[in-house]
Amino acid sequence: MNIANQPLLKLENITKRFKELTAVNGINLEVASGEKLVIIGPSGSGKSTLLRSINLLEEIEEGTIHFEGREVGYILHNGKRQQDRPQAISALRAEIGMVFQHFHLFPHMTVLGNVMEGPLTVQRKPASEARSIATEILAKVGLSDKRDVFPATLSGGQKQRVAIARALAMRPKMMLFDEPTSALDPELVGEVFDTIHTLADEGMTMIIVTHHMGFARELADRVIFMESGDFLAEGTPEELFGAAQDNERIRGFLNRLL
Amino acid sequence: MTLLFLCALTGSCLGAVDYDQLFRQSSDLMVQGDLDGALALLKQVPAPSAGEDASAFVSSRMQAGRIYASQNATDKAIAVCQDVLKLFPDNSEARNFVAALKDQLKPRWHTVLSDILRFLPVLAKGAVMTLLLVFCTMLVSPLGGLLVALGRLSRVRPVSAVCWFIIWFFRGTPLLLQLFFIYYGLPSLGITLSPFISAVIGLGLNYSAYLGEIIRGAIQSIEHGQMEAAKAIGMSYGQAMRRIIIPQTYKRLMPPVGNEFIALIKDTALVSTIAMVELMRAADQMFNTYFNITALVLAAAIYLILTTIFTFIFEKIEYRAGIYEHR
Ligand SMILES: Nc1ncnc2c1ncn2[C@@H]1O[C@H](COP(=O)(O)OP(=O)(O)O)[C@@H](O)[C@H]1O
Ligand SMILES: [Mg+2]
Repeated sequence: MNIANQPLLKLENITKRFKELTAVNGINLEVASGEKLVIIGPSGSGKSTLLRSINLLEEIEEGTIHFEGREVGYILHNGKRQQDRPQAISALRAEIGMVFQHFHLFPHMTVLGNVMEGPLTVQRKPASEARSIATEILAKVGLSDKRDVFPATLSGGQKQRVAIARALAMRPKMMLFDEPTSALDPELVGEVFDTIHTLADEGMTMIIVTHHMGFARELADRVIFMESGDFLAEGTPEELFGAAQDNERIRGFLNRLL
Repeated sequence: MTLLFLCALTGSCLGAVDYDQLFRQSSDLMVQGDLDGALALLKQVPAPSAGEDASAFVSSRMQAGRIYASQNATDKAIAVCQDVLKLFPDNSEARNFVAALKDQLKPRWHTVLSDILRFLPVLAKGAVMTLLLVFCTMLVSPLGGLLVALGRLSRVRPVSAVCWFIIWFFRGTPLLLQLFFIYYGLPSLGITLSPFISAVIGLGLNYSAYLGEIIRGAIQSIEHGQMEAAKAIGMSYGQAMRRIIIPQTYKRLMPPVGNEFIALIKDTALVSTIAMVELMRAADQMFNTYFNITALVLAAAIYLILTTIFTFIFEKIEYRAGIYEHR
């Protein structure tokens, strides 16, 4: 097996249902190491559910997930498919960073405490080491001066950069961004995009769900348009956003965004 | 010996005959309201000479003393009693009367103060026991409550069912009944516990059940995204609870838990029914011995002091626990 050609992430036939509603409908996807994938699509099309299924925050009914060539998340027990052991699930999540629309910073910890928390508690690193990792990453997202304040005192853009730093402190192999700028005032969007851009330039593999077409166009190697749990179209930004786009629904969606 | 006895008997009979008339007249005057006349008559009883029977003399002077006392002439009342004491220093009736009169001469606050000084050591000992019970329960019940809360939230059915039952039972029956059951009922099952252990178990279980529901509510009130974010960086359920969720409940827990612990201070009074001498029982004992309401007032004051201190402490802790929310 050629490791270099092996995708970092490979989804086969991922299906997630909420009662009768099928939120993700038999998705197949390969993400290469270092690739930047942007997913767009109308609200309720299953983008968040797909991201959450990847890091096992949602339990899928069908399909397989391979990460670095290993099948993850689910095992066969007496012929029945069930979730893997909690430790194995946590171990996978530790390797995939996730950034949420609403930040979900830990309000009772300082900025430094938030960023240290993963290395300290999950990786059981000594406090001094966790602190130096956190300090370094806070410098990278430009928030060194905020290290000792509580999240309540930060602007939305600063909060999201801390959330990114918190995920990065785990040294993840891949990052998932679920509408990272949708909860921000327009003037704060730029600083978060800049941070993600820096990360992309360093070669981080990432999947980004966003409604900002300009950002998608600039960053993405590949864009996927999702609707009703399915991938409707897939291609380079030029192919999806360009004049050649002839799918009425995608054109309509893009026009509404502009 | 017999002769002596006879002598004494006739002597006293003679005296009684002599002064009977006089006592009756003075009583009549008293009924008519002529106290001065009654006093004048009583004063006619002379001091007995050595060996002579003294009962008429003592009775007349004590009666005079009571009349003076009823007129609030405390000085004169004491003076007539002292006439008796000069001749018979051991006469206990006169002595007690003088002591009581002298007490009346003292200002009111003085009597209250001496009551307080008499009751305080006993009540303080009771209050120490009350505090000991409160602290033991405060130590046991948050842990019990946390276990019950986590159990209720558990996805393992039998665990949540058992915890549901514990809450249902201990919140649904009177604490007094639970205490009786533990102290008086368990011995019939071969388990005999001291009053103190019974009290701590009873209070501990009861308050674990109450705090369990409060803690469960607080955990569930933490925004769901917190658990997701904790899991997303690779935390286990236990780590997320311990590091992220439970610490955020502290501030929300303080007001209801403070209320519960203040109720606890008062609920400890119930353990006086299972032979524990704490503040309530001590006050009750003092009240029944001296029939003095100061004991109860004092106990109320001590309860108020304790609850006030607790209120202040919990307000402080609540503020500190939520300091990260201040912008
Ligand atoms: N926990 C849930 N329970 C029930 N339905 C859900 C849940 N999460 C998402 N859904 C439904 O699944 C569909 C896809 O949702 P989502 O993945 O959040 O869409 P998107 O992120 O593209 O807006 C929606 O119809 C949504 O209502
Ligand atoms: Mg979404």
